[in-house]
Amino acid sequence: MKKNGVNMIKISAKNVDVFYGKKQALFNINLDIEENQVTALIGPSGCGKSTFLRCLNRMNDVIDICKVQGEIVINDFNINDKGCDVVRLREKIGMVFQKPNPFPKTLYENISYGPSIHGMAQSKQEMDEIVEISLKKAALWEEVKDRLHEPGTGLSGGQQQRLCIARAISVQPEVILMDEPCSALDPIATAQIEELIDELKKEHTIIIVTHSMAQAARVSQRTGFFHLGELIEHGLTDKIFKNPDNTKTQDYITGRFG
Amino acid sequence: MNKNKEKLLAKRYSSEKRFQFLGKSAIFMALLFLAFFIFKIFSTGYTAFQKTWLIVPVNFDVETMYLDANPSKEDLEDADYFEISLQSMFNLDKNANEKQQNELKKMVSYFFEREIKQELINDPSLLGKTKEIYLTASDDLDQVFKGNYPRDLPEKQRRVTDYQLKIFDQLVEQGKVESKFNLSFFTYPDSREAELAGIASSFMGSIFSILVCLAIAFPVAVLAAIYLEEFAPKNRFTDFIEVNINNLAAVPSIVFGLLGLGILLAVFQLPRSTPLVGGITLSLMTLPTIIIACRASLKAVPPSIREAALAMGASRMQTTMHHTVPLSMPGTLSGTIIGLAQALGETAPLILIGMVAFVNTIPGSPMDPAASLPVQIYIWAESAERGFVEKVSACIMVLLGFLIIMNLFAQIIRHKFEKKWS
Amino acid sequence: MSEAPHTVKSYEEELKNLNSNIVKMGGFCEEALVKATQAIISRNSDNAETVIKNDEKIDKFETLVEQQVVNLIALRQPMAIDLRETVTALKISSDLERIGDLAKNISKRTLLLNENLPKNLIDALVRVSSNVQKQLKSILDAYLDRSSAMAVNVWEGDEYIDDLTNLCMQEVIKYLKENEKNLDDGTHLLFVTKNIERIGDHTTNIAEQIYYLVTGEYLEGDRPKGTEPVVTGEK
Repeated sequence: MKKNGVNMIKISAKNVDVFYGKKQALFNINLDIEENQVTALIGPSGCGKSTFLRCLNRMNDVIDICKVQGEIVINDFNINDKGCDVVRLREKIGMVFQKPNPFPKTLYENISYGPSIHGMAQSKQEMDEIVEISLKKAALWEEVKDRLHEPGTGLSGGQQQRLCIARAISVQPEVILMDEPCSALDPIATAQIEELIDELKKEHTIIIVTHSMAQAARVSQRTGFFHLGELIEHGLTDKIFKNPDNTKTQDYITGRFG
Repeated sequence: MNKNKEKLLAKRYSSEKRFQFLGKSAIFMALLFLAFFIFKIFSTGYTAFQKTWLIVPVNFDVETMYLDANPSKEDLEDADYFEISLQSMFNLDKNANEKQQNELKKMVSYFFEREIKQELINDPSLLGKTKEIYLTASDDLDQVFKGNYPRDLPEKQRRVTDYQLKIFDQLVEQGKVESKFNLSFFTYPDSREAELAGIASSFMGSIFSILVCLAIAFPVAVLAAIYLEEFAPKNRFTDFIEVNINNLAAVPSIVFGLLGLGILLAVFQLPRSTPLVGGITLSLMTLPTIIIACRASLKAVPPSIREAALAMGASRMQTTMHHTVPLSMPGTLSGTIIGLAQALGETAPLILIGMVAFVNTIPGSPMDPAASLPVQIYIWAESAERGFVEKVSACIMVLLGFLIIMNLFAQIIRHKFEKKWS
Repeated sequence: MSEAPHTVKSYEEELKNLNSNIVKMGGFCEEALVKATQAIISRNSDNAETVIKNDEKIDKFETLVEQQVVNLIALRQPMAIDLRETVTALKISSDLERIGDLAKNISKRTLLLNENLPKNLIDALVRVSSNVQKQLKSILDAYLDRSSAMAVNVWEGDEYIDDLTNLCMQEVIKYLKENEKNLDDGTHLLFVTKNIERIGDHTTNIAEQIYYLVTGEYLEGDRPKGTEPVVTGEK
């Protein structure tokens, strides 16, 4: 994972521009994301951090008027290439959303959905294993092992979000994108998710968009600050929160904006 | 200043009270109309579920029927029942002259011969004996017995003669007139004679039409809705289609009838007056309703579910079929049933494609000629006989019952599905 | 501080308040050092007593600053410049408090000194003290102006203070050697000298804090040291 003491670059965005119709949402973003690290993207609302995150698994494809330019290289492969298969890409890059969005099905079906559509389990037994491992990794197993066949929507908010994380890791993605995963949760549930993120970074590269600067500071190793569609500053979280280079960054993280 | 404020506050409260009062009285008015309507229908219609029978002794005389002493079943079928039937009616007044005999005959339905025959076939041991048999009274006597017929009219304006009334009253005195549940209303097809008219043919016609309509409209509409909502690009062309679907929903139903007449009957030469054509015509009408309902419920599926599935690497098709469509089904189904209920009550297009024709057989398939319930109501309401008045109301009651059951079904489906999904 | 004010006004107020408390505290320290020095020169016990009394105020300020800092951290979770502002305030206040203590100590010793001390000794002492006063003043200015250049200047100036202290020490030792009766005064004077030098050191500490506050980086390199204290080399 480390080469010459430097973390390997997992994702490399080069000159990424994003347009919504005629409006440009992201301007020339250049950002390298290191493997097995948590990278936090912060910035005021509408700054483009979520848009950038959604570029990484091409979720912006869903929006008709959205156009992405530039290169995003993952594993030496430009995902904005025409030859890139979105379904495969999303198998490798999982995503957790702002609002917990479990499928209105049972817990078991929630987790097994990804592996089943990607044909990852040959037998019921293998699927059971995948479900158990995923739930264990998401620190949810103990709480739900007796009610795997109850609807996932019956869980508490925090549990639902962990279920979504378990669902995301069920297909063993290399990268997990998190779009404000704790914004709908109470502090205890938030702490549990943060602990989970810390645990998950051993096996996955994590990119998290968050509004809570304290959270970015707590969970991430690297931080990028977006403002009005531009990546103003990025670097070690330590540095960003103690002594950022850019005054805009400083103004934002100290609460002096606008 | 303070006083003004107080005044303003009082004004605000009173305007709210006024508004609530208006709302409540509007609901009261609506309920009043509904209650009146229902009361009217029930009060005129409930008698149609009763039928008046004359109990007449019939002598199954072997000779009159030209039978052997031990006839086979075929012989019984082929026997002549007309004579004994006539004879038993004439026996009600042995002194009757020819004209009076004719009147006597008209006191029962023209089915009386068949009723007598049925009795013997059911029980061949009656041969050679005399038995009192229930014969359907004529519709006019039926109305007289139910008290719907004014006796004080001059005889010339009545369809019942004084002589018939006299005999009838005698029978009533003897306890030979009975009112029983009118099963034939449900099992007989339409008839020119009110006492024999039933809704079986129109009921089956309606059911077949609705089934054809459902079989065509539901899959087409759901596929169209899914494509438009989930797959079609949003551009001017799809906007145009959307506007037109909404327009289609507002097209008067008679226009669809003309379409059915012009295309299905004239061009494709499909059989007239059949539930098949009726169903296809109704499906054209129901199509936009279901499309709109299905699209609305697809739109109501939270985008977060789609995103979740897409982010898991599901293709668009998988996302739609595994998640979006099942979630939209309760809404789609209840929309469909409401559309079908609308189609069920539709009259105009069916009249145009010939389902108004007089049909006195019960259809066995969508290809047989049939009427439908609303058209039946229309036909009966047009008829002059007093006996049809109560039938119209009864038929409306059946139609309403049908609609209520359908809506109930829609609610149940909706409830069950929604419970499962949330 | 950045030009843009905080979105939360009360937060802005609290930081300003903290800042002004440090400045006020610095003012008291400056006054204490000046008065303590004057007490040596003029042998005025009033001055000395004022200094001793002032120290209480300085101590109170330190407690106040500490409370404010703890509140800020607990309730506002300051980040970046605000975090440095808060943390350095805490450290500067403790340095200032030490300065106050040292000035008090000088004043206490002044009260015990004889009336007649050799002029060259007093001169040497005053020379150190006035230089330290200058350092203290400019470091407080540096804090007010958020000037890292001034802080570096002060930091480098400590070398000169050390040199002057050594010279002063030599004078005191000379004075001690003159007569056995000088033992009491001499010892006090040694401590006074050392205390002034310590005040200089605290000033240098503050310079480092200000440098960190402004730049976010630590002043690199060894602390400037004056010539080796030849005389005290025997320790």
